[in-house]
Amino acid sequence: MPHSPPSSKRPEIPFWLLAIVLLGVLTLWSLVADQGYAQIFRALSGGVATTLWVTVVAFSLAIVLGLLVAMARTSGIRILRELATFYTELVRGIPILVFLFYIAFVGAPFMVEVGNIFLAPLQDWAGLKPLTVRNFDLTWRAIIALMICYSAFLSEIFRAGIEAVDRGQIEAAQALGLSRWNTFRHIVFPQAFRTILPPLGNDFIAMIKDSALVSALGVQDITQLGKVYSSGTFKFFETYNVVAFLYLTMTISLSLIVRSIEKRMNRNRY
Amino acid sequence: MKLMSSILALASLALVAPALSQALPDLGGRTIVAVTENAYTPLNFADPKTGEGIGWEYDAFNEIAKRLNAKVEWKLSSWDVMIQSVRDGQYDVGMDGITINDERKAQVDFSDAYMVSQQYMLVRTGDTEITGPESFAANPELLIGAQAGTTNFYVAVYEVLDGDEANPRIKLFDTFGASVQALKSGDVDMVLMDQTSANGYIGANPDTFKVVGGPLGTEEFGFIFKPGSDLVAPINAALKSMKDDGTIDALNTKWLYEYNAQQ
Repeated sequence: MPHSPPSSKRPEIPFWLLAIVLLGVLTLWSLVADQGYAQIFRALSGGVATTLWVTVVAFSLAIVLGLLVAMARTSGIRILRELATFYTELVRGIPILVFLFYIAFVGAPFMVEVGNIFLAPLQDWAGLKPLTVRNFDLTWRAIIALMICYSAFLSEIFRAGIEAVDRGQIEAAQALGLSRWNTFRHIVFPQAFRTILPPLGNDFIAMIKDSALVSALGVQDITQLGKVYSSGTFKFFETYNVVAFLYLTMTISLSLIVRSIEKRMNRNRY
Repeated sequence: MKLMSSILALASLALVAPALSQALPDLGGRTIVAVTENAYTPLNFADPKTGEGIGWEYDAFNEIAKRLNAKVEWKLSSWDVMIQSVRDGQYDVGMDGITINDERKAQVDFSDAYMVSQQYMLVRTGDTEITGPESFAANPELLIGAQAGTTNFYVAVYEVLDGDEANPRIKLFDTFGASVQALKSGDVDMVLMDQTSANGYIGANPDTFKVVGGPLGTEEFGFIFKPGSDLVAPINAALKSMKDDGTIDALNTKWLYEYNAQQ
């Protein structure tokens, strides 16, 4: 296996990182020293929790769904493979913003209707009112839309990881009498995990950025609070400086973590 | 003096209001779910200090609900999805300085107009050439920044330019702030806005912007409801009582003339 830079050489000083850190410190200083910036920061900090919550929940759900789709795509059953490919191609071809509006105003009313059909006997029994679109929070519609979009991207990452595992190992497992599930659980998945982790981390960072799109549905994330604050104070320039700073703090620190995990995993490779 | 007279006006209202409200429908404590975005100063916006939603529409609608014996549950959404979600029944009533027009009437029910919006021309301080709509329209090099489908867009098309909605002299932006930023950087040469917003931007960017010419546009704003909503009639009745007793005028004074975003 070819080594990237030889480890005997002294590591280069990452000037790009120093520049970013300097920029961050300067911005942080104005957040502390400047009254105006401090107020913007306070107004927007409530959105950080929303942005993170939307991202973490949607991403975790997308992992579960994406893994199921990837397993279907690599399965021996033809109909599952066709269905999974159909799903991936369909979802990947639609812009996320369009998908958000679609889920919010076509998908959600439809889900409520279907839900009512299934819940009708229970509702009659308990004397409950049928569900309305009102019971379906816009934040959850946004999360579901992000989940579906990302499950399609993630399933491709999972599939590549699964297919990268040497065929011979699967054949050996089968020869030893392991079931399909056990082969996946003990042989394929642990090895695929290594290939999957770095791109998975990158997609998580991408989702933090894409989560700004949920502001279009009025979810009170960093972007929406920035829009609201700038329209109330007319301080467009300063507000979006703080918005960018908040996103960069999250994305860059995560990207550094992903880099170090990647490095550690390459070191342990045989 | 101004303050004194508005206090007196409000005090006299307090005496007159109960007598008038006798004639209004009683909604029996019902909860009305109202939605806005908090991105349209001074109609609805977040107080920069507390983050609480405040503005003309909050005051007006809370007063309407009080007169009808109803409670208001305020929700936030974004302008992009407001009309559709009110139409779906997600919220009972929506407000965001929504101009009453026939296209929208096909989607949702409107209340009577509660405000007539007037737009002013905001330009860069250095521009001496632009003095009013005529001199602006005369020079084909000059561009307008606007948001698609909003009041400032329609006034730009029909009162400043030639009535062609596809006129390339109008550059479209996603938010109001973005079109003002484009004015600042020179991408466009004029943005239309109401008096309060114009004062707000001039205050936040001293020596950058100025207002030229007189008021333009006669766009009327109304509350929107799900088609066939039973709230339209009672809210129109309450709105009429507020116009008659001067409450609406007092709100206009408070939010359109006296409120200053920079204080």
